Amino acid sequence: MNLQPEDFWSFYEWLLRPEAFLESALLQGVVLIVLSIVVGLVFGYVISAARYGPSEGFYAVARAVRDLLRFDLPGTRLRRVMALARLAFKEAIRRKVLFVIGLFVVGLLLAGWFLDPNSSDPARLYISFVLTGTNYLVLALALFISAFSLPSDIESKRIYTIVTKPVRATEIVLGRMLGFIGVGTMILVPMGLVSYVFVTRGLRHTHVEVADVREVGDQLQGETDYVRSHSHEFTVDAEGQGITDVVRGHRHAVVRNADGGFTIGPPEGNLRARIPDYGDVVFYDRRGEEKEVGLNVGDEELSGGFRSSGISRVIGVTRGPKKLEHGYVEGGTLCAAVFTFDDVTPERFPDGIPLDLTIRAFRTHKGDIESTLRGSLALKHPGKDIETNPIVFEVNEYEVDERLLELEREGSDGDETRTLNVFEDLVDEDGRLQVVIRCVDRGQYLGVTKSSVYLRPGESSFRWNLTKAYISIWLQMTMVIAFGVMFSTFLSGPVAMIATAVCVLLGFSAEQIYDTRHYLDEGIDRGGGPIESVVRLLRQDSVTTELDVDALASKVIKTADAGIVYSLDAVATALPNLPKMVSTSEFAASGFDILGALLARHAAATLGYCLLAFLVSYFFLKSREIAA
Amino acid sequence: MANDVTAVAESSPDSQPLTSPPDATTDSGVVIETRNLSKVYRDFWGRRKVNALKSLDIEVRKGEIFGLLGPNGSGKSTTIKLILGLLFPSSGRVLVFDKDASETQKNERIGYLPEESYLYKFLTAEETLDFYGRLFNMSGADRKRRVAELIQMVGLSGAKHRQLREYSKGMTRRVGLAQALINDPDLILLDEPTTGLDPIGTREMKDLILGLRDQGKTVLLCSHQLADVQDVCDRVAILHQGELKELGRVSDLLKVQDVTEVHASGLSDEAKNEIADVIRRHGGEVKSIDNPTATMEDLFLNIVRESEARPGARRVSSHPDEPAPGGHDGDASGDETPGNDSAGA
Repeated sequence: MNLQPEDFWSFYEWLLRPEAFLESALLQGVVLIVLSIVVGLVFGYVISAARYGPSEGFYAVARAVRDLLRFDLPGTRLRRVMALARLAFKEAIRRKVLFVIGLFVVGLLLAGWFLDPNSSDPARLYISFVLTGTNYLVLALALFISAFSLPSDIESKRIYTIVTKPVRATEIVLGRMLGFIGVGTMILVPMGLVSYVFVTRGLRHTHVEVADVREVGDQLQGETDYVRSHSHEFTVDAEGQGITDVVRGHRHAVVRNADGGFTIGPPEGNLRARIPDYGDVVFYDRRGEEKEVGLNVGDEELSGGFRSSGISRVIGVTRGPKKLEHGYVEGGTLCAAVFTFDDVTPERFPDGIPLDLTIRAFRTHKGDIESTLRGSLALKHPGKDIETNPIVFEVNEYEVDERLLELEREGSDGDETRTLNVFEDLVDEDGRLQVVIRCVDRGQYLGVTKSSVYLRPGESSFRWNLTKAYISIWLQMTMVIAFGVMFSTFLSGPVAMIATAVCVLLGFSAEQIYDTRHYLDEGIDRGGGPIESVVRLLRQDSVTTELDVDALASKVIKTADAGIVYSLDAVATALPNLPKMVSTSEFAASGFDILGALLARHAAATLGYCLLAFLVSYFFLKSREIAA
Repeated sequence: MANDVTAVAESSPDSQPLTSPPDATTDSGVVIETRNLSKVYRDFWGRRKVNALKSLDIEVRKGEIFGLLGPNGSGKSTTIKLILGLLFPSSGRVLVFDKDASETQKNERIGYLPEESYLYKFLTAEETLDFYGRLFNMSGADRKRRVAELIQMVGLSGAKHRQLREYSKGMTRRVGLAQALINDPDLILLDEPTTGLDPIGTREMKDLILGLRDQGKTVLLCSHQLADVQDVCDRVAILHQGELKELGRVSDLLKVQDVTEVHASGLSDEAKNEIADVIRRHGGEVKSIDNPTATMEDLFLNIVRESEARPGARRVSSHPDEPAPGGHDGDASGDETPGNDSAGA
């Protein structure tokens, strides 16, 4: 799992961006809401003025604002909101939306045939499958239930009996949203439970036979049989209690029975939620000089990562790539990546330093094809020339290399070689410790990001982590419902659904739109905007060549493309960051605790978008002739 | 009974409506006021499509039953929708309880029965009324009491736990009426209240409307069932092509100033001739001397009442032209003209 710089922000940093306020979520949210209100009022005025004249138009718009502040917001009553929510809930149930749960279960049963428990990382496969399946199913459901309800009530005129009661537009909007959120929740909870059972049962296996049992001292060592494409080696102590080694992310308890046989327990440790403690990383180049980024082995900096630049990117203040790709260190040179960790204390790490590595390998030549690339790690004092002897490791790109480093290690203190104690010799007075990563193989490269090397002070419960992943899905669902209800206040059901779906798709492809704008801004030939792309497709031209049409046509195409791309860019920036929210499932699938700050950010963003949708819905509903 | 006659001659006293209205003019409170109210329907591009209502000026006063009358497309429903705030006026204003029609607060005192009973079919009658009670922010105890009262009143006690989808049109209409009354409104707007009701239901609806007026409520109804309007309304406005064509008390509008109507019973043919002579002698012109006919509604209601009193028995016709019972299979015929025993003024 590769985290981006923005993933490490605390909630406060994300909200305010103290050093780059133009990128702050708060500013973006406020601008978005204010802009929506201003555009809405201007739009409303133009329509009203066209129909009733300039002064009457102004009066109509002013009355809507006054009504909201003076009557409708203060007059909103929970009882009415809940009555409408219950109605929306009952209606959705009547439409047999619970059928979706059945569909999901059938989907899981079918998937049970196709998901391969023999794969190298079955836990990731299973978790990723259930979370992705749930996510898209629930979003589709949210789209359907939210977009059709209000238009159907208006079309069937059932809304007449509601709006002729003392029901505020605020209550209608809130009631719908809450009702559908209730429906979604009622569907999501059983889906979560079923998923949990599916994952745990899917991963459950046991080894029955043991082989090659031998006595080593007072212990017994042996090997289990080969089940699901793997076997374990195990050790049993004199009291008959033992454990296997970790293969494919799990181990089994082994008990020696009275009859001399062995009982091997269910898999343990394959469903995890590691809580990483990330440090700061700096790189050293071939000459040993400090750099902010590592070596670039290719296309690392060309695009991507504009997500959190917010307004500063739209108005062109922030340019260039923001995405953190891997920085590489070259083997056989002074290249190194040095991670500095804070708060390394004996209280947190009494038994050793738990250090995990997920490092990427990049071969410039075939080298020894039989073995993986090798790297080395060493613990180092941040201010002094004290460093442990390097620990050589083999790089396995797609697994987490979990280590517990002993507190006493051999190393060098200046010119002296001696046994170093981590806390006494390597941790400075501020509790900081450095970890130095180097590549051992000459001419080959190891790639790291800030999230590649981390301390692991503890673990969270997998169930809670899965719950957090579902909370993230719930938040996305809430957002889609809010948008669906918003569009349904002024569009017919199918059109409202399409509009919501377009928003979701634009949100999902925002990164590509940002990239396209980036290419336009920087004059990079990547096929241009939509019109240029079509022209290139028809002419079968390469994306990297100059557009081969006459100058005037080229100018027209590029100008039109710029208009389209810049508009799409603004719209995509205004839309929710759904890919980021969906990516939380990657945390759970990779066995990492979903960062609390990340979830809080998603929750705050959801709340913001719901507020926006609520206000827009209110004005549309208020200014709409229900019986027209 | 066949001797009952109605004599119609020019220059007659008032013909009374079914009930006598209170003197609305003595109660000067204006509940609904439309001022120069116009509505133009436009298409998507804002082009004028139809002038649904043109400069309507009416006042509905407290405690009266006001009828909006007119053929289809005359602007009745548009007027009601404008009053309810479901549509916005193109020009002019609507005031309801001295508040602009667009203000939600006015709805606290309004009950509305739409033309069709637009209700949620998946709810039961009890749930429906409870739901609408909640929309009035009524407390649980109040809702429970009111729902029970209304279900009793509209005669749906036996079906209150059934979903509305299982209801007949008449039953749905009753639930619609009950929801319009859930808040004990001061003003009730009824859009085609008797649509879909059988004659008994129609009669009950009309009695209920009169009962509401007796409780001091104001009723605005729109209908193209002229008989209904005549039976219950104190004042009517007649609309045609969006324009107000006539406005006034029903009794005044229907009064034929130069025709006299005499209802009497037990007269012989000689007596009838003598009366005709008297009329001629006084310079009057005898238009007709005839036995009155009852309305189909009266006939139907009498049959039903009799059937309920004597289940299974077939009604015997007293009409000389009517075939004897059993003359044609299964056809409950009969033409005893009800009301023949009445002697009008």
